[in-house]
Amino acid sequence: MMNRITNLPTLKIDPSKAVSLKYHDIPYQGCAGDTVATALYAGGVRIFGRSLKYHRPRGLYSLDGECSNTCMEIDAIPNERSENLPARDGMVVREQNVKGSAEHDKLSFIDKLDWAMPAGFYYHTMHKPAALWPLAMKQIRKAAGLGRLSPDFRQTGRFDEIFPSTEVCVIGGGPSGMQAALSAAEQGLRVILLEARPWLGGFYDYRTVQDDHAVPLYERGRKLAEKVSAHPGIRVLTHTSLVGTYNNGLVTAFRRGSSEDSFAERYIEIRAKSVVVATGCIERPLLFENNERPGVMQAGCAHRLLNTFGILPGKTAVFAVGHDLGLEAALDLHDQGVNIACIADLRTEGQNPDLLKALESRDITYQPGQTALEAHGKKLLTGVVLGSMDGSSQKTLPCDLLVASAGLTPVSGPLTINKGSVAYDAHTGSFLPDKLPENTRVAGRILGLGDPEAIEASGHLAGLQAAQDCGLDSAADLQKAEQALAELPGPEKGTDFVIGPVSGRKSFICFDEDTTIKNIKQAINKGFDVPELIKRFTSAGTGPGQGGIPDHNLPLFTALYQGSAQESVRPTNRRPPLTPIFLSTYAGRNHDMAKRTPMHDRQKQDGGIFRRLGVWRRARYFSEDLSCRQEVENVRSNVGIFDGSTLGKFRIHGPDCLKALDRVFVSDMHKVKQGRIKYTAMCNEDGCVIDDGVITKMGENDYFFTTSTGRAGATVEWIRYHTRYEGRDFHMVNLTDAFGVINLSGPNARKVIEKVVDQDISNEALPFSGVKGFSIGQNVEVFVMRLGFVGELSYEIHVPSSYMESVWDLLLEAGQEFGIMNFGVEAQNVLRMEKGHIILGQESEQRTNLLDVHLGFLWHRDKPEAKTVGSLALKQAEQDPDRLKLVGLKMQEAKVPGDGCVIVDESRIRGYVCTIRKSFSVDGIVGLALVEGPLAKPGSVVSIYEDECKGNLLKADVVPLPFYDPEGARMKA
Amino acid sequence: MEKTQQKPLWGPKKPLKSSYDAVIVGGGLHGLATAYFLARDHGITDVAVIDKNFIGYGGAGRNTAIVRANQRTQENVPLYKEALDLWPVLTKELDFNLMFNNCGNLNLMHSEAAMKAARMNISTAQFLGVESHLLDKKQVKDLEPALNVSEDIVYPIHGAMFHPPGGILRHDAVVWGLAKGVAGYGGDIHQQTEVTAINTEKGKIASVDTSAGSIKTPKVLVAAGGYSAAIINMMLGIRLPISVLTIQAMVTQPLKPLLDHVVSSGAYHVYCNQTLKGEIATGAHMDAWPNYTTLTTAHYIKHQAEALTQFLPCLAGLKFMRIWGGLADMTPDMAPIMDGNDHIRGFFMDCGWGYFGFKSCTSTGKYMAEFMATDEYPEMLKPFTLRRYEQHRLMGETPALVNYSPDN
Repeated sequence: MMNRITNLPTLKIDPSKAVSLKYHDIPYQGCAGDTVATALYAGGVRIFGRSLKYHRPRGLYSLDGECSNTCMEIDAIPNERSENLPARDGMVVREQNVKGSAEHDKLSFIDKLDWAMPAGFYYHTMHKPAALWPLAMKQIRKAAGLGRLSPDFRQTGRFDEIFPSTEVCVIGGGPSGMQAALSAAEQGLRVILLEARPWLGGFYDYRTVQDDHAVPLYERGRKLAEKVSAHPGIRVLTHTSLVGTYNNGLVTAFRRGSSEDSFAERYIEIRAKSVVVATGCIERPLLFENNERPGVMQAGCAHRLLNTFGILPGKTAVFAVGHDLGLEAALDLHDQGVNIACIADLRTEGQNPDLLKALESRDITYQPGQTALEAHGKKLLTGVVLGSMDGSSQKTLPCDLLVASAGLTPVSGPLTINKGSVAYDAHTGSFLPDKLPENTRVAGRILGLGDPEAIEASGHLAGLQAAQDCGLDSAADLQKAEQALAELPGPEKGTDFVIGPVSGRKSFICFDEDTTIKNIKQAINKGFDVPELIKRFTSAGTGPGQGGIPDHNLPLFTALYQGSAQESVRPTNRRPPLTPIFLSTYAGRNHDMAKRTPMHDRQKQDGGIFRRLGVWRRARYFSEDLSCRQEVENVRSNVGIFDGSTLGKFRIHGPDCLKALDRVFVSDMHKVKQGRIKYTAMCNEDGCVIDDGVITKMGENDYFFTTSTGRAGATVEWIRYHTRYEGRDFHMVNLTDAFGVINLSGPNARKVIEKVVDQDISNEALPFSGVKGFSIGQNVEVFVMRLGFVGELSYEIHVPSSYMESVWDLLLEAGQEFGIMNFGVEAQNVLRMEKGHIILGQESEQRTNLLDVHLGFLWHRDKPEAKTVGSLALKQAEQDPDRLKLVGLKMQEAKVPGDGCVIVDESRIRGYVCTIRKSFSVDGIVGLALVEGPLAKPGSVVSIYEDECKGNLLKADVVPLPFYDPEGARMKA
Repeated sequence: MEKTQQKPLWGPKKPLKSSYDAVIVGGGLHGLATAYFLARDHGITDVAVIDKNFIGYGGAGRNTAIVRANQRTQENVPLYKEALDLWPVLTKELDFNLMFNNCGNLNLMHSEAAMKAARMNISTAQFLGVESHLLDKKQVKDLEPALNVSEDIVYPIHGAMFHPPGGILRHDAVVWGLAKGVAGYGGDIHQQTEVTAINTEKGKIASVDTSAGSIKTPKVLVAAGGYSAAIINMMLGIRLPISVLTIQAMVTQPLKPLLDHVVSSGAYHVYCNQTLKGEIATGAHMDAWPNYTTLTTAHYIKHQAEALTQFLPCLAGLKFMRIWGGLADMTPDMAPIMDGNDHIRGFFMDCGWGYFGFKSCTSTGKYMAEFMATDEYPEMLKPFTLRRYEQHRLMGETPALVNYSPDN
């Protein structure tokens, strides 16, 4: 690689392995270990895209995704952080938000129009005249947004998810995080260590400066990393970015796959007993005019470009910094041949004297008490104005690199999104952790520490504290660790928040949203005087960098401008995901967790068309004829077989079970007998019907009942809830999945079943409403109920789930000669509607009560021992004539209105159609509807307003129910 | 530091006066709108809007800013229709661009039963003069090409309810615009002022105690969103059938135009739209348990991604950027409580909006102002009386039973 320095011990690239990307159809050669942005930078790319509002050129500024400067479209995916994304062979890269190219953007003139766009200008413009707004809005939509996504885009690659649990989760694989992991693991605890970069080492990894034992920090970091990797108790997850921290030790993250892995990205949800946050610091952006001109970058960015990626970030550099890391970077850059024109340091004291000596020995100009005031250069940086804070002693220096960094600021998002807090600390000049979330510990630079020994000692302490969170008694060790840390250097003195005498017109406090110092002043003057309101008004911090750039500066500038104490402000709330995460990664494998009945496969083979209904997948139709004529007619004339397995099935037993039943069911449950079924219903406190089903007595204090499919999941809790204060002694078993149900219906049903059972099932032996146990196929014990939901001779056969297929097959075989056929949920729906039987949810809505659907006859008013849930409301409702009542409808004309059409008079809606069909069993179009009381009498005529009818109402007669077999002769036959 | 001269949008900070003609508790949309219409329609300008935090810091600034008038019942539709009609009016009156994007709402239906439910809403809407149509899946695909209308998802798309008059606004702009309007008429907005007591004398409102002092007033409106039920219960002893639950919303990174409508799906529990900034803003159902925190959870956003990538598969290539939580104050029938002068003379309440508080704020403000100014219960609001729960007459705003907690 010609353009790389290949002999640095800190390198993380492999210059012998080339990686080729395409940008503007031009191939760029990077090497293994590069990110997309570093590969492009090595190839000479300096402008990576254009800013959101002003279309200003933007370049590499940080290497940690703190802003959208280097967001690019990569392989058709928008907004990829090219500075973090490992480069892979064959990637196709495009710049974003340009008309033309990043170099030559036809919209760059907008940068000059900033005077017309003060903070929140759009709220004051474009709405007069009103007709202007839709046109303006179109342009706004086009101008807004960074990347572009095709509606036909399909994500490729495997997305996976894992849910590990652990004792300790350490966030951050820098020195303190590694030490914390080791100290916790040495206590015998399981540790998961998360690191966003592909390697461990944090801010040691690219630093050549030596510790007190003359060991360069990168080496010290690597030794720690080796120990960590070798420890069997530590699971190291590199390439893993933190997404969120939640209460009870829940940590979410995602891991990027690499060429050797089987997944593209993997969502990780960790349950830990203790969490150590060792996320270190990012740099505070320095504020001056044109502070984001390509060529301006942070110290760590320039330093890592050189030491990690072997790239010289520029030829002539000026430094405007406020901490020792900036001086270290200058030394390394100088030693590799970058001309350091000048170092302006905000500080006048507190510098590391060794570093100052090293600068002096290299004849590097060092100017304490100075800073950058303005960057020059139309597209790329060409020079910088340095000067004192008061604007005096200004001089302009030509350069192509400005390393600008005001200081450090802790990465506290993992604390604050989980109810932790930060507070301004005058010594470090930053917001340090204040209140920590439960079972959360902190270590390293997040505490303001800078000394390597102190950082690692804080890691050791945090590891022991985490062990304590996990219940280990380590009091003696803890005390020792606390003392050791106390004896080491504490938090480093940091610089105060400063800004030179600039107009602020092009001093950007948030790069993503093009928010300037001037905009912040405008917002404050308009009354948006706290950071949270400023954020909303100026959008500062709401872009893809998620606050990385403005988090520190915004609150402090707000305080400075208003002359209030720095302690009185705090950064705006961070929000998860702390790292932007693909929807595909969150979705993972996207399982559908549906339930299948025992007959699922068989019905599928038989041509069943399935629908997801609640938690179940059910066969709705058995042919493409969605009117189900054949299915319906076969039940009416021969016999149909239906899979009713989704019915809720419960056994309740124990001395007080009858009292419990009396409380929740509306009927007198003492009347439930052995060998007979009773149809009954449950109401809620408003008297609204929530469930119906049948119940039978199995033995003394032992009952079996069914519920509707949708309600089965809530039944046990409902009954427990309504008996909670009475100390009732009973047990419930949910048998829904343990038993399947076969419904055999039609005039031939008895002939079929007779062939397979061992007992007499004549109408006398098993009459309508009877229930009886049988053995089918010699040894399968089933019990059979005589019901009539569809209006025919009908048997509901309850079969242990594992025998369902066998019993089903026996019945099918036995039924061949009688014309047996499947019928599905829709055919059942038509059949029962003709019979006037309701389905809750279809002929009822939330507010429909027992009386409204004519089930008042089930209600037993006097229950000495139990007050029925809903009875009070039912008594009230009896006096209310206007409620919607269930009626039968018969259309006067040949048109079938859709289910759901409303029933109206001239001015009001008076009800609606629940289910209506052209009947195959009785003459005409019939259906069920809910209509207001006064309209509900048979003989009245209602008007149906169908959607798109343009006022042409359909007429229907209210008729008595049921439509089919009113005497019930067929189902009782 | 030198300050440039610009006028504060909602007036300079004023000290709290010792008496006002009316006090509104809650500087959200409903409170501000009521204050605005009290001044505009009834000339009552001696009004204090007080907020414990900042204006628009609660539900007003935490919703997904969707507006529509395709509610289920005839008691609700007219209120929402009027609210919808008021956006352009207010934009003009307030001289503040509320950024109404009248993009229309596409509510996806994923089953035969859902199509029936949609037809009920649509025929109700059409009968009441609100535009709304039932579309089949081909029409849906034509309107929003990013949708997956194939059968290979858990809940295949059957069709949609298309409601062209709906859309989205910039929610913060509505807050600020109304605040500007209130201040313009001389009303006072007191931020970071907490109500500590509401005092009555002989069954009438007498005064309100706040962290900044006591206010004599004959009229109080509590419109404090998720906190209304607690304030009303603790300060006046009126228990409301309200459960407060956290509801979350989130945005993706910003994109050039991709979605042209609000797209929502009941079966998947998702709604989404593309903001004017280009982010896909999306939200869903509430957390399954009542609580007063606005904390986000890990599973909600995961669910959102699972659901969205099914019917809008291209979104798999987008990244979520930010999630936040707000409070939804849910009633048993998912319709609000707007009542007053009952139990206590001079006391008014506007709460229980759940997640419908944004879309309704304008018309509600207008009618609540009328109620407060005239002491006559407007016909439009009568169906929303608190007494309906005593009478077990739920409003049927939701077809299915709701049960937020056994302890509702």
